[in-house]
Amino acid sequence: MNDTLAIILEAILMPIVAFIVGLFMVLMVRKLAAKLQRRVGPPLLQPLYDIIKLYGKQTQISHGLIHDIGIIMAVGGYVAAEALLPVPGMDGIAAQGGLITLAYLTMVPSLGLALGVGQCANPNGSIGISRALTAMLAYDIPYIIVIFGVAWHFSSTNLVEIIAVQQAGGIETWGIAQMPLLAIAGLITMHAMLGKQPFEIYVAPAEIATGPMVEMGGKYLGGLFVMQCFQLYTVSVIYVSLFLGGGENWITFLLKAFGVLAIVVSIAYLFPRYRTDDLVRLMWKWPVMLGLLGIAFVMN
Amino acid sequence: MVNQLKNIEIETRPAESRNPFARVFDEIVRFCQSRSMFMLHYCTGCGAIELPPAMTSRFDMERLGIQPMVTPRQADILLITGYVSIKTLKRVILTYEQMGSPKYVIGICSCTVNGGMYWQSYATAKKLDEYLPVDMYIAGCMPRPEAVITGLRELMENIRTGKADAWKQYYKNYDYYLGNQQHLFGNNWQTPTDVIGEAEHYRLMGPNTLGEHTRILQQVQQPLEAMEMKI
Repeated sequence: MNDTLAIILEAILMPIVAFIVGLFMVLMVRKLAAKLQRRVGPPLLQPLYDIIKLYGKQTQISHGLIHDIGIIMAVGGYVAAEALLPVPGMDGIAAQGGLITLAYLTMVPSLGLALGVGQCANPNGSIGISRALTAMLAYDIPYIIVIFGVAWHFSSTNLVEIIAVQQAGGIETWGIAQMPLLAIAGLITMHAMLGKQPFEIYVAPAEIATGPMVEMGGKYLGGLFVMQCFQLYTVSVIYVSLFLGGGENWITFLLKAFGVLAIVVSIAYLFPRYRTDDLVRLMWKWPVMLGLLGIAFVMN
Repeated sequence: MVNQLKNIEIETRPAESRNPFARVFDEIVRFCQSRSMFMLHYCTGCGAIELPPAMTSRFDMERLGIQPMVTPRQADILLITGYVSIKTLKRVILTYEQMGSPKYVIGICSCTVNGGMYWQSYATAKKLDEYLPVDMYIAGCMPRPEAVITGLRELMENIRTGKADAWKQYYKNYDYYLGNQQHLFGNNWQTPTDVIGEAEHYRLMGPNTLGEHTRILQQVQQPLEAMEMKI
């Protein structure tokens, strides 16, 4: 009985922690961009101000039921994924869920967004979401290859075990030391999953007027801002768990997660955007090649 | 399909009936609204040239929580920089009506105040606030980025203290604004947004919402039809 209660409590607590960490991740992304462009950047609580303001709008323009449900799916997919991601002190249902469930859950938000945007009937939105799904098609293949390689190396799809093995053996047993090729492929894949600059094909503000977000105002955009917090958190924590030994305590855990994100963002704000076909070609060539080579080394 | 869209109702209660705790909450929301403003700039004239320095590294608007957005649905501020020709004004009104409330209009340059150097032009709308409720004018030909940021800071202060509610005037005095619009565009003028319906839904009807001009609108109004899907 106590165990059930603890799991329920953790399943509630983990998304809340993820949201708070995610807010600071959004802040870090914007601050880093500002520093790279020699600006001051937003104040400390800016991501929170934005979200509260968007939910506080007095006229909310809905385009129908599916529009509402799509946003709930987009946020809900990540909220469910948080309970499967172990953090220091809380495992949630990570041991029961495993990596494969997690891989499925990280695809739900894109599909939810596609549903929601579909009902807006705005051509920019449709172009944006078709690009987002193409991008998903591009990065999911190296993503699955990387997950498969890691699972093969540790002979487990259980994230709790994977982290425990890495923490027991020290730095030389970390995924990044054992499988450097897969780690590089993973970093490129993670960059594409975040949709940051060279791979920012579906947001494209100047070209298709922010794509999927074109008809989103008020609480719908607020929902997407919340989703962005979860997205940054989820993607960087998956990388930290697979390759950087998870977190021994909260300090090292947050340092690693923010560090990984900082690498991606620093690269992102130095580059312009690829075309959609370039993205697919690049993702199916380099990370896939590196990943397959990495798997060959892991399997021998 | 159209009927389904109409069935979704979002409840909003008038502010007076709320309890003290909700009023504290309103204060917080107003503070956040003042510190986070998404800006849609409709750059029609020369004033636009002063906005890039205001947004980029020299003056950096993002430190005040102001950032550019690209669609009216996401935006809070409609920034109109420069003269508004009659053709442009139609687009400005369409854009304004698509924004979610609370929304604010800022007129930059003297052309939006009184027509400026285009006073004698036959194709220019002289005073912007005859067609849209304007929250803030930033005069000058053109105002420097410092002036733009000072104006935006003043708007922030107005939002925080609850004084910036010109958007309610558009619902409450719709007949006046529609009359001026019909004077320019002719009596067949209609927009896709049902302003009267919105005013009823959000309880923003005033004594001047309906009048002779809205009667003309209701006579000539064509129902909007969904575009045919083609592949």
